[in-house]
Amino acid sequence: MEQTLAAAPAQAAPKKKRDLRFKDLAERNALLALLIAIVVFFSVWPQSSAVFFTTENFSVLLGNQAVVALLALAAILPLVSNYFDFSLGSIAAASTVLQAGLMSRHDVPLWLAALLGILLGAAIGGVNGLLVTRFRLSAFVTTLGMATLLGGVIQWYTGGQTIVNGISDGLIDFGSSTWLGLPRVVYVVILFAIVLWYLLVHTPYGRTLYAIGANPRSAKLLGIPADRNVHLSFVLAGLIAGVVGVLQLARSGSATADTGTSILFPALAAAFLGATAVRPGFFNVVGTMIGVLLVSVSVSGLTLAGASAWVSPVFNGAALLIAVGLSTYLGRHRGVAAK
Amino acid sequence: MPQAAVRLEDLSKTFGATKALAGAGLTLRPGTVHALLGGNGSGKSTAIKILAGAYVADAGTIEIGERRWDAPSYDAREGFAAGLRFVHQDLGLFDELTVAENFALDHGWPRGRGGRIRWGALRSRVAQLLERYEVEATPDMIVAKLRPAQRTMLAIARAVQDHDGADRVLILDEPTAALPLHESEILLRAVRRRADLGQTVLIVSHRMQEVLSVSDDFTVFRDGRTVANLVDASPTEDELIAHMTGAVVTAHEAAPASREATTEPVLEVRGLVGGPLTGVDLTVRAGEIVGIAGLVGSGRTSLLKTVFGEHRPAEGTISIAGRAASARDGVGRRMAEGVAYLPEDRLGEAALNELSVRENLSASVLRSFWRGGRMAHRAERDAAEGLVGTYKVKTTSVDAVFASLSGGNQQKVVLARWLRRNPRLLLLDEPTQGVDIMSRRDIYASIRQAAAAGCAVVVASSDFVELCELCDRVAVLAKGAVTTSVEGEALTVDRLTALTQSSAPLERAS
Repeated sequence: MEQTLAAAPAQAAPKKKRDLRFKDLAERNALLALLIAIVVFFSVWPQSSAVFFTTENFSVLLGNQAVVALLALAAILPLVSNYFDFSLGSIAAASTVLQAGLMSRHDVPLWLAALLGILLGAAIGGVNGLLVTRFRLSAFVTTLGMATLLGGVIQWYTGGQTIVNGISDGLIDFGSSTWLGLPRVVYVVILFAIVLWYLLVHTPYGRTLYAIGANPRSAKLLGIPADRNVHLSFVLAGLIAGVVGVLQLARSGSATADTGTSILFPALAAAFLGATAVRPGFFNVVGTMIGVLLVSVSVSGLTLAGASAWVSPVFNGAALLIAVGLSTYLGRHRGVAAK
Repeated sequence: MPQAAVRLEDLSKTFGATKALAGAGLTLRPGTVHALLGGNGSGKSTAIKILAGAYVADAGTIEIGERRWDAPSYDAREGFAAGLRFVHQDLGLFDELTVAENFALDHGWPRGRGGRIRWGALRSRVAQLLERYEVEATPDMIVAKLRPAQRTMLAIARAVQDHDGADRVLILDEPTAALPLHESEILLRAVRRRADLGQTVLIVSHRMQEVLSVSDDFTVFRDGRTVANLVDASPTEDELIAHMTGAVVTAHEAAPASREATTEPVLEVRGLVGGPLTGVDLTVRAGEIVGIAGLVGSGRTSLLKTVFGEHRPAEGTISIAGRAASARDGVGRRMAEGVAYLPEDRLGEAALNELSVRENLSASVLRSFWRGGRMAHRAERDAAEGLVGTYKVKTTSVDAVFASLSGGNQQKVVLARWLRRNPRLLLLDEPTQGVDIMSRRDIYASIRQAAAAGCAVVVASSDFVELCELCDRVAVLAKGAVTTSVEGEALTVDRLTALTQSSAPLERAS
């Protein structure tokens, strides 16, 4: 009798393990499944089906989201090591304004203007990183201050006016043309996604960023140059935000006195959504891309179905709340399991 | 039979497929110190957590004083009302606040007219409690500045307040795990005095010798069951270990014969000054295991961290394998020279808690898996699985989250992470703190094996039994300098106790 009792848990163990593996699989792919479900829904829903599942719609949709997608990629670099960067939207805006200004006021060639815009991004990221690692300022406060400061500088530089004249036709053409049915800017995002995925998954540097995110003290005592690596992550994030500035100028053909927060928030929403998928609990490239698509596909579908303009920000906001909530819940869940 | 202060009967609790408790029982006699023992996974933590309300039992009964519950319907608030008071290993003190504020936050603020806080009343009340509980502190001191044993006593005083009669039961969960020997002796003496005044105390601890010195009764859990219940007994350490392991295992294997120290020195420290260090001289040869004994504040941890390049020395020289190190060298440089350092604070300084076991193991050798422009994930996984086998880490897979492992297995992982580098010099700071006895034996075996392969090992520990068992030679550190060194026959716990404790009065006399 006692033996049969003792045998029961032993049999239960593999089943339990299978359940866990299934749960794990479900958790990793929940966001992707949701994305597919939403695409299917809008494709068959009579109100949106006529236009939604067409090449033209996807082309517009992806083109419009390229800027947010690339900014989200920039944001996850410092986030992997637990550092927020609120200034990335403003860096992108500053990059846009600088390029437009250089081209329209000083007749600087496109390649040089773009290069300077990107370098400006990297430089501002460098300053952020220096303040955070060397002077131990909170990343939250530092980058918030930097965003505010850049917003003011943009106002000053543009005088509050939109710069429309003198912007390279080649750039505008690049922003509005397609290649193999997809907007050219989308290929830039894909290129950066691959590079970042490689960096985070396939280089020791990326692995150290995750280690620093887990415990900076332990990382240092393992000989990982934590300050240097975090500093570099801010520089790279700033550099990518500078590229976002180029894409932004290419898409809109003008530089407004906007401070860039309007694209930062959807980008952060996507990054946090992404941290609930593929590698739950950790910021990752593939998850972030799914996050961007999820938000944009839903908004596109709703817009096609005739929803008003307010729907988009409401959806973005709700997505961010749910994403952060889920992320936190999963994080806490791990913590409890640990004890 | 007299009324029990606390009685647990047939307590059961299952987590998924694991039976954490399978009908365990425990009876506390009023006014006694009772030790609850068991290896990791024996169910003793689960039992305590059920009493504290963190888990709900599946079956059994709980009796506290006059009251009695079916265990599944037991509520921690009723347990509190019936007199249970917990002091956990994490004391739950607010380090940045004052002693008085810590009391008030737990027990309410004395209020005066208009709702103002009567600071004077609070201070005098707290001062009384501090005196009664022999806490060497004043109400206005910042808690972070107290010595470790005093902080624990403060937490005890705060938990029990002035209701110290037999109707209060004080439960101490690993109270000495983070304390050095000297501090835990002070603490346990104070606990013993509380018990002599009628306080009922339940102590959960890994440190066998300490509970032996202070406890009246002993209960041993193994695999979720009570395997021994010794009332008013004085068992030997080996008896208790036999109960815990279910086999006759002695804690103290004879230390291996002192090896001939003729090999070349791997570490030579001369006149090292910096932080608490006032001039340390130390030589460690290849294949040698050298212990560092000393009280808290003697500079044990500082010495290791300075050698590892984490702290910069103010004066003195460090040579590693005959090469003089620069004071400006950092951790990276030391690692390149083959030095490894296992910090005392596993959670704060070694763990990558949310990452997997594999990632924790690889963190010290990331570059070696960087092959042909990419991370060799397959090779990394194979190597991790090999290490988990070699070092007997119990885990569901190498992808399990590090935090999900027990303390002993976590320690095996962080040790394996360094040993895989084949270090020339291994610096260990409290290598078995909070580790159960079975894992401890595995860890000792790994350390000995490394030494046999020619690694020089330095072990700083507050556990003298550990030093005597593991080390060829022990250097006694007092006030930042090596005062003496013992080996062979002279290397005994009593001798180490005498040498570390006596140094202060001796110096005063001279």
